Amino acid sequence: MIRQRKDRVSAFVLAAPLLLFLSVLVVWPIYLGIKTALSRDLLSEFEITPAGLDNFRTVIAAPDFWSALRFTIIFAVVVTIVEGLLGFGLALIFDRKFPGKRTLFSMVLIPIMIAPSLMAVMYRLILNENIGVIPGVLQKFGWEFSIFDQRYVFFTLVTLDAIQYTSFAFLLVYAALQNIPQEIYESAAIDGARYRQVIWRITLPILKPALAIIAMLRLIDSFRTFDTIYILTGGGPGISTQTIGIYIYKTAFITGDFGLASAASVTLVLLLAPLMPKIIKQFRLDIK
Amino acid sequence: MRLRKLLTVAIAAGALVAGFAVAPAQAATEVKMILWPGPEGEAMQKVVDAYNAGQGKKDGVVVKQVLLSRDNTFAKEAALMKAKSSEYDIYFTASYLVGQHAPYLSEIKGVNDMLYLKASIDGLKVNKKQMALPLDTSLHFMYYRTDLVSSLSSAANTAKYKQISKTVLGKELSPNTDPETWSWDDALATAAFFTQKYNPDSPTKYGYALPAKNLLYNTMIWNDVLWGLGGNWYKNGAPNLNTASGKAAIDVYRTIYTKELTSPDSSQWEYAETNAALTSGNAMMALQWNAAYSELSKTGSTSGKVGIAAPPGKGQRTHVHALAVGLNKFSKKQAAAQKWMKYLATVPAMKNYAAAGGVPSMPEILNTMVSTNASFANIITYAGKYGYSESAGAREFDIYAKLAEVLSPAWVGQKTADEVASVADAALKSLRK
Repeated sequence: MIRQRKDRVSAFVLAAPLLLFLSVLVVWPIYLGIKTALSRDLLSEFEITPAGLDNFRTVIAAPDFWSALRFTIIFAVVVTIVEGLLGFGLALIFDRKFPGKRTLFSMVLIPIMIAPSLMAVMYRLILNENIGVIPGVLQKFGWEFSIFDQRYVFFTLVTLDAIQYTSFAFLLVYAALQNIPQEIYESAAIDGARYRQVIWRITLPILKPALAIIAMLRLIDSFRTFDTIYILTGGGPGISTQTIGIYIYKTAFITGDFGLASAASVTLVLLLAPLMPKIIKQFRLDIK
Repeated sequence: MRLRKLLTVAIAAGALVAGFAVAPAQAATEVKMILWPGPEGEAMQKVVDAYNAGQGKKDGVVVKQVLLSRDNTFAKEAALMKAKSSEYDIYFTASYLVGQHAPYLSEIKGVNDMLYLKASIDGLKVNKKQMALPLDTSLHFMYYRTDLVSSLSSAANTAKYKQISKTVLGKELSPNTDPETWSWDDALATAAFFTQKYNPDSPTKYGYALPAKNLLYNTMIWNDVLWGLGGNWYKNGAPNLNTASGKAAIDVYRTIYTKELTSPDSSQWEYAETNAALTSGNAMMALQWNAAYSELSKTGSTSGKVGIAAPPGKGQRTHVHALAVGLNKFSKKQAAAQKWMKYLATVPAMKNYAAAGGVPSMPEILNTMVSTNASFANIITYAGKYGYSESAGAREFDIYAKLAEVLSPAWVGQKTADEVASVADAALKSLRK
């Protein structure tokens, strides 16, 4: 009895730093966020007054919020698929021996090491039709293109995201490929399996858990996309490329409505929270 | 033992006295000021250095300038203001923002209004109180290639001009070689003439460089078109964009983009890209900020060949705003910050600012320093003659951003003027509350 009590006390003492850390960095900001969401908190007004659920009603009735959410989901799904496929393809190429593999491997990983905002600024410079290096070189060969033409801007954003994050998918798939025992491939070869059959029947099923993890991580990460799109398009033309992150940022820091921005954030969490157990179950993440 | 103790106490006391003797009578108070990087921040650093080396020593004040990012200075300030932070003593603000910032700023007393351009100093008053001190005056010029406009007068070009204007605008127009008197039809016809799609002999690929990104500063430029066509945001307190003049102003931008008088990329252009289009020789004209003059007059294809005119339109109007600095209400160094602000409001300080690349809002300086920047003369003329401000109060910044969001799809042809004008009016109505 005494021993059990002592164990409980020491467990609490040992967990105390983590609990304190969580309280300060997670619980307190969440509390403040909810409190702000329930307030009329405008930059142009000094006093903060209670607003009940007004901000939530405004968010739910705002077409811009739903449009931003829709764009974010479409963008996240598309880039996840594109980057997953490209990463898988690249990993298959790098799973073989070829000259210059080490150098190329390092080069493929470079984009992921650069901050997204820096990449966006770089894109603005190198892709600029008037002073950019890439359009300049292509024009020499008689190929002119307008990469930021409003008709193609979605594809431009997907391409630029893929340039930066394909290497992430590639790295994880490549690591998983290295763990597949060589004997399996040898058996398949003896049985006369073709390359496509090996990929389809052996590699892909074995890589399924790794691909699921990649998909989940990229989905979550691309759902939070902000920097690149904000710098390149500002969410426009209109709100056609506005992500939910840009919507919340603009509401808080341009409109100066912190209450509404917090309500949008809380609403987003409430919309996504029910999906988490399903995602965990779907991807069979063993959380104990 | 006792002797040792005595000796220790004596040495300690001696050190203490010596310490007091060498310490200054009073340490200078550090005042922290936010500005944004670019010409304003660079010019201000020269003024700060001069103050710290001279008057600051007499005042017992050291000023430290902190440059935040050009794009998000106001966002960071918003967070600081809402947190009632005392970290910075002086905030960067502007006439289109001062209504939003006013609750967090202290009134600045003793400013001599007569030293400043009226539009600049008045634009920083909230409820008749001076809430910020003007720095740069910003307005727009129609920049054009002087060599190309003068070539329009030849007989061959006149005939071609008429034919192109008929094709693009549906009207046969004659060339107008005086951009100062351009209507928007003149500007569009000239832009079409210098677009290779319509005139393969044009030295520029596009006639116009259109900053059409969803960005509030681009709305400020578009407003010149609106006002030039007789429009306004509000009329007698009611939204006024869903009108003939409002739709005509939207259609000017829409025509430029959809008729390809500008690059398709311009749907994502802002200040820097517009300048690049002009200096690279790809575009012939643009409505652009006065701050661009230094770059355009000295760089690339526009070097020595850039002309300045008032924005086109019947009632040629230009947006005018003042960038400014305001005193943080929660600063714990109000007295020291006031001393610096007092210095900043003097003619010598602003002369130093102008010499370093700033565009101060003091007519006396703009008049006497034209040799430093030839556009200074135009700033006084245009601000006085064509200057215009919406003065929409605390939500002005917000309105600019909302209009950029609502109108930009029409600017680039995704929607029609009819589709967006009513939405814009609804937004104006809700933001006027």
